[in-house]
Amino acid sequence: MIRSFFLLFIFLLSFNVDAGPRYSDPDGCLSCHAYEGLNFIDENGVFRSATIDSEHYASSLHGSVPCKDCHREVIDYPHKVENTEVDCGASCHIEEPSEGVKYSHDVIHEEMDKSVHADGWYKGLTGGNRLEEVETEQDPSCRRCHSNTAYIAESQLEKFKEAFDHAETECGNCHQGKAWMGQFGGHILRRFVGRRWNNIENNQLCIQCHGDIEAMRDVTQEDKETHEKHPPSERFVQSSASYTKTLHGRLIDANSDFGASCIDCHAPEGWKHEIRAYTDEKSASHPDNLGESCGQSNCHGYTKKPGNEGFTMTDMHSLSLLGLHSMDKPLEDADLWESNWFRGALPLMVAGIALAIGSLAWWILYRTDKKIIAKFGGDRFERVMIGRKPKKARAKAAAKKPRVAKKVESTEAADTLKETTETVVKAKAATAEMKETPKKPDVENKVENNTVADIAKETTEAVVKKQASISEPAETPKKSDDSES
Amino acid sequence: MRVIQNLKAIPKVQKFRYGMILLASMSLLGPLAFLPQLVGNDDLCGQLCMRRFYLYFPGMTWDDFFVHVNSAAIGVMAFALILITTLFFGRIWCGYLCPVGGLAELSSRMLNDRWKIEFRSLPQVQIRYGYFGFYLIAMPALGISACSLCNFITIPRLIEAMSGEYRGMIYLVSSVGLVNLALLLLLGVFASKGRAYCQFLCPIGAADSIVNRIGARLPFAHRIRVAKERCTGCNICARNCMCGAIKMVDKIAVVDQMSCMSCHECVDVCDWNALAWTAPPKHKHNSPKRIKKNTEIFPLPDWQAIHIHPVKENAEGRTVPQISGVSIFNAMVFLTVISVIIVGSFL
Repeated sequence: MIRSFFLLFIFLLSFNVDAGPRYSDPDGCLSCHAYEGLNFIDENGVFRSATIDSEHYASSLHGSVPCKDCHREVIDYPHKVENTEVDCGASCHIEEPSEGVKYSHDVIHEEMDKSVHADGWYKGLTGGNRLEEVETEQDPSCRRCHSNTAYIAESQLEKFKEAFDHAETECGNCHQGKAWMGQFGGHILRRFVGRRWNNIENNQLCIQCHGDIEAMRDVTQEDKETHEKHPPSERFVQSSASYTKTLHGRLIDANSDFGASCIDCHAPEGWKHEIRAYTDEKSASHPDNLGESCGQSNCHGYTKKPGNEGFTMTDMHSLSLLGLHSMDKPLEDADLWESNWFRGALPLMVAGIALAIGSLAWWILYRTDKKIIAKFGGDRFERVMIGRKPKKARAKAAAKKPRVAKKVESTEAADTLKETTETVVKAKAATAEMKETPKKPDVENKVENNTVADIAKETTEAVVKKQASISEPAETPKKSDDSES
Repeated sequence: MRVIQNLKAIPKVQKFRYGMILLASMSLLGPLAFLPQLVGNDDLCGQLCMRRFYLYFPGMTWDDFFVHVNSAAIGVMAFALILITTLFFGRIWCGYLCPVGGLAELSSRMLNDRWKIEFRSLPQVQIRYGYFGFYLIAMPALGISACSLCNFITIPRLIEAMSGEYRGMIYLVSSVGLVNLALLLLLGVFASKGRAYCQFLCPIGAADSIVNRIGARLPFAHRIRVAKERCTGCNICARNCMCGAIKMVDKIAVVDQMSCMSCHECVDVCDWNALAWTAPPKHKHNSPKRIKKNTEIFPLPDWQAIHIHPVKENAEGRTVPQISGVSIFNAMVFLTVISVIIVGSFL
């Protein structure tokens, strides 16, 4: 399609036609409608204007199309309002010069017919009250999006004129005649030069309606199979708000070429009008077709290949991206408590709170402590990174010197009387050495000291009650600990 | 008064470093977000994202890669800049500028050490590259958004929330935000020295570490280096190292350039000038400065950046480096299997 279009463009580049008068009004409609103040009050009591600004019309896209080409039912004067309705799908009187086929919007009409917007007034384009359409109809007609905009954007006008002049000399060599240049050449050139819609404006078109959250709440959706009517989901209502939070929306907001617009994903093919519900199997946004849709040229090309099903499942309208203020019931069970992320967060939060409380309590109670070893993993750090022996081995080493602890752990004090007497003597010798070294407060080893002291106490009581004092053997493990570190 | 004394006791370079982190945080995070706003962003996502463009999607071509690069062009440039500075000066971004790891570290340093989790002794290189591989390859295929566990969202949002912005609060009470907040608490605030997220999960840090390790051999590279003959084995550097990069091997400090952030704290605390942040020395290795009366004199320290420490012995009795490719591969497989089980149970 694009290629044929391009060839056509190449042909059209050689043209030689004088730009004829464009204020044609063969049917004489403007003899009345050109009057300013041609107003009336319709049956709904709405003040309406029937004035047509001839200059504005002529500069519009349909400026070269005579009124009666579209308003076919208007035959005589005065005409009824109902007769002014237009069928955009009907063929025009304008002919495509090379083929002689009458131009028609029917292709787009057919595509539109398949889309979710199919129930609009697209056959009664300019007929009827615009206000009434907006208020009563949830599906758009053609004109709701395609207002008869100016032919060429003002910013592009100079460029267009340049191209038009060029076309007269170049394309006009072959494509001579008024039909080519006046009616069709400009039309084609506009497509290339006057392409005035970028992604931001494309999205703005959709957001005009879909951004109106209150209006979207009033939409009724119909199940294709059961024909049951139901109110729309919150996901549908918030679709434009959540989209702007995604990377796609953010890139387009930043005027980047890499963001995907609404149409890029929802109607990537053909004439960009076939927007289907994501539940429809033919829809571009159906899960089965996402690989193809996301993998369009310049986008995520790899999604066409297997193994990317997970990637295409990324939710582009995720409600979790939205602020609470925009939601109806923000903290519904399904949204929060039953969310896997939230479940994952709970144990982590509990651990975090425990650490916070512990940290605070420890700061209040023990903030003067100098030697601090972390509660969780501190011992492993000492062992792996510093190279000290593990805690148990340290305790063992501490108990090794007097050789008391290990023996008495078996609690057979009566059998080992002889040995214990020897160890007590050794312990006494050790404490005699220790008395020379200054004492240091050591919080960490308090527990160990106590146990050793208790054990030593038992043993010494068992042997000679008066000989040993309690504090003496308590000093022994400290020496071993110091020497180690 | 004790607080002021403690603040005064901070080494000079560390004061500078904390100041730089705060400055970077103020210019990169909300409510001012001065630097991101130069490109029309108010957080570190979108065009500024440094963490996404290298993800590998199955069947990806170079064209797809360049699309990713283009859509985050500024982030890619910043990432390249970080890697280049790393090559010359060590991981300056991570240690001195990164507001995400830096703020977690600063808040962690204000807490009592007793009730913190000591992550530094874990095999961090294996875990880091295990997760890195999982992040690059398995997460895209599984359909987990790389953004869902990203700290570069959480910290800016947290700051926004604290400065009263509505969107930040909204993020933090969303379920993804809660998980990230909890991760920030466990791997940041309540981690010993507050850098566990950087050690284990940060993909920028993982890529940066590789450059740091590769550059360590280059003659112009500034790195944290050890003069072995000066080290007394007092282990104060290992205790103070926030990355867990210093390990006492045979009672001598050994720096792991795969983890070191060149934060300079070890140099500040060492009483023996056994560590320094310098380029490799000009003099030849092991050559005496002069020989006096047949005695070789070594007055110049031999600054060593890389020590392949012969810790493990294999069956043939040869010594092998402790961090081997096999162990990293095992960690990758292990992490992938665990993650698939966890994710699978959620789906």
